[in-house]
Amino acid sequence: MNRFLLPVMLAAFFVIESVFVHLLPDGTFTSDRILVPRFLIIAIFFLTVYGNKQYGIIYGFVFGLLFDVFYTEILGIYLFLFPLMAYAVSKIMKVLQTNIVIVTIVSIIGVALLELGVYEMNFLIHRTDMNFPHFVSLRFLPTIILNLAFSIIAAYPLKRQFEKFAEHLTE
Amino acid sequence: MPQFFLNKRLIVLLVSIIILVALIGFSLRDRKQLTWPEQLIKDTTGWVQSLVSRPAQSIAGFIENLQDLQNTYNENKELKARLDDLARLEAEVHELKKENEELKDILDKKDSLRDYDPAQATVIARNPDRWHELLIINKGETDGIEADMAVITSQGLIGKVKSVSKFTSTVQLLSAMDPKNRVSAVVQGEKNFYGFIVGYDEKKKLLLLKEIPYDAKIKKGQNVITSGLGVVFPKLLQIGKVVDVVPDQYGLTQTAYVKPSANLYDISHVMVVKRKMTKPDVSDIDDNEEEEEL
Repeated sequence: MNRFLLPVMLAAFFVIESVFVHLLPDGTFTSDRILVPRFLIIAIFFLTVYGNKQYGIIYGFVFGLLFDVFYTEILGIYLFLFPLMAYAVSKIMKVLQTNIVIVTIVSIIGVALLELGVYEMNFLIHRTDMNFPHFVSLRFLPTIILNLAFSIIAAYPLKRQFEKFAEHLTE
Repeated sequence: MPQFFLNKRLIVLLVSIIILVALIGFSLRDRKQLTWPEQLIKDTTGWVQSLVSRPAQSIAGFIENLQDLQNTYNENKELKARLDDLARLEAEVHELKKENEELKDILDKKDSLRDYDPAQATVIARNPDRWHELLIINKGETDGIEADMAVITSQGLIGKVKSVSKFTSTVQLLSAMDPKNRVSAVVQGEKNFYGFIVGYDEKKKLLLLKEIPYDAKIKKGQNVITSGLGVVFPKLLQIGKVVDVVPDQYGLTQTAYVKPSANLYDISHVMVVKRKMTKPDVSDIDDNEEEEEL
């Protein structure tokens, strides 16, 4: 496996998130709900589980920084949460067996925790005044459904890619 | 106690929480400019983003065009009906413009709060977690964009420039929740009432126009435009229409709910507006206010 493939792949997810939000039509389902694509972090979770834990955390850190600087302009939130979630997922997976269904579920739990963490932090620094029930119905549930759909579609290709990567590392 | 501090993971966690708080504090400060590493990252990422988003947008545009074709017949009928009205309006506007210019000539008054230079820009990225409602556009410092400039679409005001780097800049939408995000606005009617656009009701999808005098009589459907008094925005940029008026918490002022005329979600081409009139000195400000009264 080419050593540039991994960063390029993650960068592609980073870009696709923005394109997805940009091009998502303003339809009936999306009109008052907010769907947040979390494709990048799902890929990082799969990298942590199937590839290498250290790499997962480092890439979480790098892309968290990139996310903060480029998209949110508030440094720190994703920089802190991406590696933390990658670490948490790797800890959870130590207890559970590495089955593709279980990994998918755990990565969705990771996304849910990330979403809650980001909400809490934004609430703390007064970037939002959305209350919790609103947050759950407007953002949390639609986001979880979207990302569940994505991770079901992408689980197998991601798994194969990262297993190859892990083999490549051990060689 | 020593054991507590020897736990490596705990120390890493504590240190990173300290760094997190420091970084958030740093970025929440009233920053006039981004630091150069940030600018560098923004420009590089922006370049990569534009490579991807251009083709993606053109494909989406093509599909949208196909959908538009289906509605063409009905739309055409409706537009024809409006066209008659337009001709009359155009003549009227032309006449008024001419008269206005003549009157201005008499007064020897050259620049107005209304004049501005638009700069076209394309949206290359959008913040995927929509907490901050930021857009990134493909024009930056080298194209003469500065922080705090107004950003409009053909339908109306959508926000302002939050920060600039060399080749890209970040636009904060009106729907972003930020106490620093205020726009001085006017409700047009027989008598004009001034207020501030502060904040956005995410549930109702309406902007909040606050601090309107308690005795102001505002009706539904009245136009809301920028007042040009806030130093940075030019006058007469369309914001939206009043939907509802309620007294505020203490009954001292009123709050109007304003439906934005521009779509704050579906944005791909924007104009960054540079006000022609220079920022007034403190001594000039009184003069400007008199102008508004007229």
